[in-house]
Amino acid sequence: MSARGQVQLDGIVKKHGAFAALKGIDFEIKPGEFFALLGPSGSGKSTTLRILAGLDAPTSGRILVDGEDVTGADARERDVAMVFQSYALYPHMTVFENIAFPLEMAKRPKAEIGPAVREAAAKVKIEHLLDRKPGQLSGGQQQRCALARAIVRKARLFLLDEPLSNLDAKLRLETRVELKKLQRSLGVTAVYVTHDQEEAMTLADRMAVFMEGEIRQIGRPADVFAQPNSIEVAAFIGSPPMNLIPARYQDGSVLIGGRRLPTMLQTHGERDVVVGVRPSAVRFEADGIPATVEVVENLGDAAILDMSLAGTALRARYDRFPLPREGDAMGVTVRPEDIHLFDPVSRRRL
Amino acid sequence: MTAKRLRLGILIGVSGLFLLAWIFPILWSLLNAFKTEQDVLAYPPKLVFSPTLDAFRDVLFGATSILPNLASSFIISIGTTIVTMALAIPAAYALARLRIPGKRWAGFYVLATQMLPPVGIIIPYFLILRNIGWIDTYQGIILIYLSFSLPFAIWLLVSYFEDIPFEMEEAAFLDGASRLKTLRRIILPQVQGGVAVTVVFVFLNAWNEFLFAVVLSGNTVRPVTIAMFNFVSVEQTLWAKLAAVSALAMLPVIVLGVVAQKHIVKGLTVGAVKGGGRR
Ligand SMILES: Nc1ncnc2c1ncn2[C@@H]1O[C@H](COP(=O)(O)OP(=O)(O)O)[C@@H](O)[C@H]1O
Ligand SMILES: [Mg+2]
Repeated sequence: MSARGQVQLDGIVKKHGAFAALKGIDFEIKPGEFFALLGPSGSGKSTTLRILAGLDAPTSGRILVDGEDVTGADARERDVAMVFQSYALYPHMTVFENIAFPLEMAKRPKAEIGPAVREAAAKVKIEHLLDRKPGQLSGGQQQRCALARAIVRKARLFLLDEPLSNLDAKLRLETRVELKKLQRSLGVTAVYVTHDQEEAMTLADRMAVFMEGEIRQIGRPADVFAQPNSIEVAAFIGSPPMNLIPARYQDGSVLIGGRRLPTMLQTHGERDVVVGVRPSAVRFEADGIPATVEVVENLGDAAILDMSLAGTALRARYDRFPLPREGDAMGVTVRPEDIHLFDPVSRRRL
Repeated sequence: MTAKRLRLGILIGVSGLFLLAWIFPILWSLLNAFKTEQDVLAYPPKLVFSPTLDAFRDVLFGATSILPNLASSFIISIGTTIVTMALAIPAAYALARLRIPGKRWAGFYVLATQMLPPVGIIIPYFLILRNIGWIDTYQGIILIYLSFSLPFAIWLLVSYFEDIPFEMEEAAFLDGASRLKTLRRIILPQVQGGVAVTVVFVFLNAWNEFLFAVVLSGNTVRPVTIAMFNFVSVEQTLWAKLAAVSALAMLPVIVLGVVAQKHIVKGLTVGAVKGGGRR
């Protein structure tokens, strides 16, 4: 049972005429894993998910589920369940009928369907809404109904395409937590598409970062966050985004704002680099690099400072009170382990 | 506020005028159906008269009963409607969903058949039916009616199918439904308003058709639109009987409208709640 739901994508290419929406996607998902496809809009996440579901056919490449080649198999032969961004609830059926539909199609006996539907509905806390039509539900309730319909059949793969994006911010956070619990309790493999890096960070066991039809990095969210392998990934992951400052590297340090900052990289020689520093990694010390505060964005429990150090813009997170004021002079520094170095030409991590 | 009320007043006034112009001949005909032949011709017209069901009794059970003709009309109209819908629903679904080469061209053809003047094709139709021995047969007239009603029904239904997001079917496929199951269980219930509208139109067109019927029918197949002229002859026109037949011919149309209306409104509200955009 727990060995169900292993996925492997091998060189998946998808072309729409001359335009390549996917340029060769490879990844493997382990049974029971929560795997996120993260990337900006138009990067090919939904296309990948649809190919995995069998709704679209790849131009080339292979899809293996539990070791079996399903590349040519119909969607309904693949035993996967999906939650659409629009939920795609059947408007003419009640919530009960919606959730029961996959079981009915699987020709489960009537006596089994009722209890199974109620169990799925209870898991997402909509058991009191079974007689309603989708049109009589709030957005959050519709979303739960779509979830219940997807989990009721206990398919081996659980696919979700931006399932939270139509919810308001507060509900999105609540549902996110419940979604994680639900997936854990079911032990089912989940593939989750999102453009929200925070969602991917909090939900996923591992994630693939998509850009322009390619995977740029695969790994545990914490690892991708700590070691982004390119400037693009570094800029995409983290909020507010990483500072990326062109600078000069020389013998184990970089020159920023007229000061030398030691780095972990310890090679001899001199070269141009892009220095990446997360706003939360900026430290404040009286004898640091002199900087001027230009804008203070107060978040309540912390603030984002837009600063300028010798003409270079730098954003920093500040959580001591009282907050500095605009125009204040401060000293900043960064620890060597918090400095990311990238090649400005290849844009790869050094 | 007063300007708004004034506009509303004008709107109601103008609408009332049109309604009056539309309803007058119908009322006039209905009234005549309850008069004697003498009262119909009375001048000045009698608004107050003693109503009688004589005309109805004569046209229904008299020597020239139109009951067989009503039956004939029903067979033609129901037959045309059933065959049309059975073919048009899958065709419209396919046209709305599948990527078929020449789809645009098909759409044009559908519209073109609606523009042809019927007199232009009535002679070839007559010759074809005569050669295959189908003049004055139900299958003959239904076949000819199909050539109009089928393209029209497809064209009307396609837009209803196109309103349903693709994700609706994709969800059904992933839930394990076949394409036919998806059509029957997921898609059709959502286009029932469109189906009702189409059924009404197809039935009405077949029920009211005169020109083709008069050429292609005979003594066995004789719909009520043709049979009405039993009461019009060179010597005299039996207005009361003619009016009674009109009233009887209108009855099924009205019943159908009332029955279908419920489904049409229901179809509209179902359409309003469905979520999601189209790809
Ligand atoms: N049917 C199609 N025809 C042409 N281009 C398409 C089609 N479907 C998707 N695309 C393109 O493929 C790219 C990837 O789309 P998608 O996978 O939906 O991106 P996202 O990462 O936002 O989910 C986009 O640039 C999109 O415009
Ligand atoms: Mg998408």
